[in-house]
Formats: sequence, structure tokens, C-alpha cells
Amino acid sequence: MFCRMADLLYAALPLRPIRDWLIRSHMEGCPRCQARLLSREEARGLLVVPDRVGDPRALWPRIAARRERPGRVPETPRVAAGAAWQVAAVAALALVIAVTGFWVLREIETPTAAGPVRFEIAYVKVGGAPAQTFVYQPQGSDTVFVWAQRTP
Amino acid sequence: MNERETIDGCLAGDPLSQRAMVEAYGNLVLSVALNVIGNRQDAEDVCQETFLQVFRRLDRYDRARSFKTWLLTIAYRRSLDMLRKRRRFKEFSAKARFEPDVVGRGGNPGRADPEPVPSVLLKKLSPRERTALALWANEGYSAKDIAEVLTCSASTARVYLFNARRKIKALLENTHVLQNG
Repeated sequence: MFCRMADLLYAALPLRPIRDWLIRSHMEGCPRCQARLLSREEARGLLVVPDRVGDPRALWPRIAARRERPGRVPETPRVAAGAAWQVAAVAALALVIAVTGFWVLREIETPTAAGPVRFEIAYVKVGGAPAQTFVYQPQGSDTVFVWAQRTP
Repeated sequence: MNERETIDGCLAGDPLSQRAMVEAYGNLVLSVALNVIGNRQDAEDVCQETFLQVFRRLDRYDRARSFKTWLLTIAYRRSLDMLRKRRRFKEFSAKARFEPDVVGRGGNPGRADPEPVPSVLLKKLSPRERTALALWANEGYSAKDIAEVLTCSASTARVYLFNARRKIKALLENTHVLQNG
């Protein structure tokens, strides 16, 4: 009875703290719930275990060869996806502020500038990757908004 | 050579210590990469990159922490990076409307013994769930240890592991029912 209730709550509330509480308070200690989980032995049968991947001595010559060529490996790999999005959002916001500020300051410094000014962006990268870029200028305004986002 | 001596040697740039480290942990890193990525060649690339980064950044290792967990954190992040690269390449090749040929990388494609690869059932899991399952089953890691590798909270790691175990068990049971029925 309680197992079914726990299952329903687990499915209905996809919030990790609640799911974690359900796991710790019931599912971890309940033999019926445990029987519906993969055992370690079953998991090892499906995974590649370290003893079966081959001879570790075979790895060294390739690593040694690549070690002689510095710069081929990025210094740090990207961290979790959430952090990458945060970096992308900050980069996009910084770009918007920089471009808007540039145009505002430019107008103040050159009030007599004649003729329309063409705004161009050659290339935008966010988080090291080419980004989708949108340029928006409200009618009758000299302000230009630039929105850059990571290519999905 | 124990772990401490190996680390000290690697910090000093000693090739013998580096080799000892690869031989001590190479299979572990390769198995984690293989379980996360599911492809031998990419997993070998990740394994090489992981050790190159470890040699370069060993000065950042905090000796109060487990070296194995630190190493696996790097391997896991590199594996995620490889999965993203593969996904981008797939998207690009779909847009360009061509099917990429398999490009040889100097391996031995004609070998008789197939190299071990994780079960196709594991493709039903997210990379985080696969990693949690692999660390729990192969290394005996607890939710707290898994959390350190995945860079998340212990409760999140516990949920990833639980979901992985439940999903695969259900799939195994369904497969069994289909085979018998």
C-alpha cells in the first residue's frame, strides 16, 4: 500500500528533494521496492567493467605521443551544461550592454555626425562557439539591441 | 610506486611516474568514458585527453580529496564534452545532408575479438544517469561520492542513480517478457 503511494508521489512530484526524501525514507529500506531496482551484479553485466577494457599498458604510447604536442588539448573542459548556459547568458548580456553603451556614447561624442550609420556585426561567438545573433533597432531610435545565443 | 609517489613524480614531470599513473588508472578512466559515451574510439580519445589534462593541471589537485574521484571528475567532464561534440557534428551532418564515412584513426578495425561496449539498454539513460550507475556498480561509490564526480548535490545523485536502476530493471523485465511471451 505504502509502496504504491510512494510510487505515485515519486511520479507526480518531479522535484529532486522530494524524490530524494521518498528514496531515503521508504524505497531504500523496502524489499519490494528494492526488488524493482537493478542490482549491482545486473548492472555490472550491462556495463563495461575496468578489468575488461584491455591492457592499460597499450594506452601509454598514445598518451606519450600526444604529450609531445602541447596545445592540442583544451586547457579545461566545459563544465556542467547549466554552467555553460550561465556563461552564455552572461556573455550575451555583456554584448548587449557593450553595444548599447557604444552607440549611446558615440551619439554624445558626435552630435553633428551626418547621415545614417550602418551597423554591422561580422561574427559573434558565445562560449567559444558560433552564436545565433539578432539585431533589433526600434523605429525612429538610434539604439541598437543585439541578442546573441548559443546555437542549439 | 604508491599513489603519493606517483603524484609527486608527475608533478615533477617524470615520464616514468606519468606512465605508472596511466597504467594504474587507465582502465578505470577508459571504462567510465566508455560507459558514458558508448563508443570505443571516442572513449580512447577522452582517456588520452583526461591524462594530458591531469599531467598539466596536477598542481590544482587538492590532496585532502580522493585522487581517484578528482580524476574521474575530469574524465566525466571530458566525456560530456565529447558527447556535445558528437551531437553538434550529427546536427551539422544532418543539415549538410551527407552521411559521414567512418574515418580510420590508426586503430585495428579488423581485429577478431570485439572490444567490450556497454549494453544498448544504457542508451535509454541520460549521461548523468549512466555515470551514476557505472560509478555505483563498478566502483562501489555512494551517492555522496557520485555527487562529487557529477558536481551536484548528494540528493540529486541519489535520484539519478535510483532512476537509472529502475529504468533499466523495467527494460530488462520487458525484454524478458517479450522473449518469453
